[in-house]
Amino acid sequence: MGGILVIAEHRKGDLLDVTWEILNKAAVVSESTGQRVTAVLAGFNVRAMAEKLAGRAHKVVVVDNPELANYNYEVYRDVLTGIIKNLRPVLILIGHTTTGMDLAPALAAHLNIPLATACIDFSIEDGKLTAIRQMYNGKVNARVCFSSSDCYMVTLRPGSFSVETENAWGGEIQSISLEVEKPSGIKFIRSVEAALGEVDITQADILVSVGQGIGDKKNLQLVEELAALLGGTLSCSRPVVDKKWLPKERQVGSSGKTVKPKVYLAIGISGSFQHLMGLKGGTIIAINKDPRAPIFRVADYGIVGDLFQVVPVLKEKIKSLK
Amino acid sequence: MDIIVFVKRVPDTSEADINISPDGLHIIEKDLVFDINESDKYAVEEAVQIKEKLGGSVTAITLGTDSSEDVLRRCLATGVDQAIRLTDEAFRDSDACGTARVLAAAVKDLKYDLILTGVQANDDLQSQVGPVLAEYLGLLHVTVVNKLEIDGKIARVHRELEGGVEDVLEVRLPAVLTIQTGINEPRYVSIMGIRKASRLEIKVRNAADLSLSPDGVGQKASQVKIEKLFIPVSNKATEILTGSLDEMTQKLAGIIKEKGGIS
Amino acid sequence: MDFELSKEQMDIQQAVREFVRTELTRDYLLDLERKHEFPWKAWQKACELGFVAINFPEEYGGGGYGSMEKVIVIEEFCRQAAGVGTAITTGNFGSKIIANRGTKEQKEKYLPLMCQGEAVTFGAFTEPDRGSDLVSSPLGTSAVKEGDYYIINGAKTFISGANIAKFGVVLCQTDLNASPPYKGHSILIVDCPSPGFEATEWEKMGMNSFPSCQVSFNNVKVSKDNLVGKENEGFYYAVEFLNEVRVETAATAVGMGQGVLDRAVEYARNRMAFGRKIGEFQAISHKIAEMATKVETARLAVYKAAWGIDHKKADPKMCSIAKWYAARMAVEVADEGIEIMGGHGYMLENDMERFYRDVRSTELVEGTKEIHKNTIARALLGKLS
Repeated sequence: MGGILVIAEHRKGDLLDVTWEILNKAAVVSESTGQRVTAVLAGFNVRAMAEKLAGRAHKVVVVDNPELANYNYEVYRDVLTGIIKNLRPVLILIGHTTTGMDLAPALAAHLNIPLATACIDFSIEDGKLTAIRQMYNGKVNARVCFSSSDCYMVTLRPGSFSVETENAWGGEIQSISLEVEKPSGIKFIRSVEAALGEVDITQADILVSVGQGIGDKKNLQLVEELAALLGGTLSCSRPVVDKKWLPKERQVGSSGKTVKPKVYLAIGISGSFQHLMGLKGGTIIAINKDPRAPIFRVADYGIVGDLFQVVPVLKEKIKSLK
Repeated sequence: MDIIVFVKRVPDTSEADINISPDGLHIIEKDLVFDINESDKYAVEEAVQIKEKLGGSVTAITLGTDSSEDVLRRCLATGVDQAIRLTDEAFRDSDACGTARVLAAAVKDLKYDLILTGVQANDDLQSQVGPVLAEYLGLLHVTVVNKLEIDGKIARVHRELEGGVEDVLEVRLPAVLTIQTGINEPRYVSIMGIRKASRLEIKVRNAADLSLSPDGVGQKASQVKIEKLFIPVSNKATEILTGSLDEMTQKLAGIIKEKGGIS
Repeated sequence: MDFELSKEQMDIQQAVREFVRTELTRDYLLDLERKHEFPWKAWQKACELGFVAINFPEEYGGGGYGSMEKVIVIEEFCRQAAGVGTAITTGNFGSKIIANRGTKEQKEKYLPLMCQGEAVTFGAFTEPDRGSDLVSSPLGTSAVKEGDYYIINGAKTFISGANIAKFGVVLCQTDLNASPPYKGHSILIVDCPSPGFEATEWEKMGMNSFPSCQVSFNNVKVSKDNLVGKENEGFYYAVEFLNEVRVETAATAVGMGQGVLDRAVEYARNRMAFGRKIGEFQAISHKIAEMATKVETARLAVYKAAWGIDHKKADPKMCSIAKWYAARMAVEVADEGIEIMGGHGYMLENDMERFYRDVRSTELVEGTKEIHKNTIARALLGKLS
């Protein structure tokens, strides 16, 4: 009994990065507290993934069943409830992804487990769990504590921890066969892949990305010209797509695309966590008139100013450099 | 179709300076502009559009002090038929489960086919209340819905995933759905709507009205508590350029070139 | 005395704010300015949402609210869009006379068109050789009764919207021998187009989205059913109406003053000079303080004047105070606004110069400040000889 349970998330035969990030954190916590790490893998035909997980956990509990082929809260709740009641962990960790968040709150309430979501870190000191979570557009963080309980749950934002792993643990893989009832309330119909647009921003080396700060569809011309000048591609944050100023294929972020350009110019983008989740590397340059915008915490370089004043002058400077 | 929508009044912090109170437990609200939570606005519009197509009623409910009535009046002015405000000293500082317990008590005696909320509240970013509420009502839920069609007793929904992928699901009603921004285009508030809203009474319910014991809600029952709020400090050495506009852009252009940003 | 807006008034203010922020974007406004176009698209939507006819009776499609609510709407529109805000919110100029004094048939025929955004309307009082003085000599625009019709001849000038309107009200001299002459004024509704009615647009300093026209009447035939109220009582209807529109004009000035202040504050908070944000220099911060003082005091004067109208205590002195003061302060505020922005303040694409050009008209329309000072002085000093 006891231990840290990591609910592994996967899609189309691949484990998500966030699962590895959480396992890395769990490994660190395991070292200091002595709590053993168990990964839980529920799905269909998941043996290969189980073996990968065994490299980074003391134990992997696998439930392999056709009813688990696609995520369905109704089914996953019942399976995980059974496993949790059986293993009685002290801490359950789930990725703060769309699926993780479809699962965690209701599951925690079902089992009366205190849950903190949208966390970017947690620690156990002297047997006390505290977590750091984000609030208010990422402009404020909160350190939260929990009232006494046998078990706690935390969802962790992708990108909070390192994803690099050395998979050398050799954990035990335990297959569990369960009676999995067909769901009666939620039926999975099919998956819709992202529509292939004419532009693939994931292939671009240079991205000029625009956010709500651009103010109007007509103002896009300003940044389009900048992108053309640099030989780069135009991308954007979610609000720009919601307002239908640019198509979804241009969106960088958790519900859009993940990009890893050489240079990323974030113009009028506040830098919400969801947006930054889609940004995996390169030199990040931010132009924003709000000095406290979260983007400035992750940018390599920044100019605090009105983009309508900065961008035109920047274009001239670039022209003279070419 | 009788639809209940849960809404929240939140501050707009996207462009504002945020300061933390001396006790470190709240943000200073004085100069902030408050409005209906963004994804709740889309949930309200979705509910009203369904009602306009299929008939029925829409009820908006919020947990809050009397300033939250601004948000309810806005709902009434944009097609919602009735509004209820839940308020009690005992509800203060509830965690997500405490809040969900109050909301569940509020709808226990109401007739409904569907419950909608926004995906997350832009102040605390918890994204918990919708699914927890479903659990307490014995209902199923689907979160981050960006497309919704009602077909008799079934809701056909698209659940939005990362990377532009969507899962298509069918949910048996009644159920709880959390609505994502962009699902529709929320209508403007009109003068006629404001007139109509002013003639409707907002019902107010407290803990006693909901037969709620104070032990189950509020700070006392809260299992997750804020110890301290703080402005995050970046570990990254961000170089903010200074000087005149001319100097800054000159320097930046050089940096862009150096890092491979001109092809 | 409650200095806070009521909940309904705050809801109205919020509704307008959201609308103008999304619909009246910088690009849309600059485009209109460059093309000298009336904001048809935004005006249509504003009418449909009930903003324009908010102070007209509900039974004809209006909002059923009063002057105070109209003032709130006007302020928010002009704060965002300067003269385009004036064009949208006062594009129904003149219609209020029909609502105030018209017959049921006239109201049913004309008001719904205006409320629903199907008609821009005009109100023609000023003539080429008389603006301030409509009382000492008979009007140049006469309306002679011939059987079931009035025949109108003459000219009016500086009439907003006359070339894009569907109808308007015209102040005419029906009794050429009346003494004093204003006792021979009548108000007639003129449909557009009408044979003999011609409106030509002036080119002017600002307000480029709201055309101002010279209108000539050449034997324009108008049915006697288009007489508003009683013959020869038109002057009194006009005076009553002018109280209301003076407050509306004052509101456009307050809105524009606030718009200037918003932009000046934003600039002062961001612009750097000598290593500091310029808002840190007292020369600038004191300007901001003075501008804010002017806008706030003007606003209170306008609110008080509007309150009087809504409570059937319309005070011409208060309307005049609000009108001339709000307009004067807005002009001064706009001047400082440009100064604070320096060279950028002079450039079209930065909004400020447009506020400056647009707001100057508020001192001239609906009575110059000199005329208003006469009104105020007379109220206090009485007739001295």
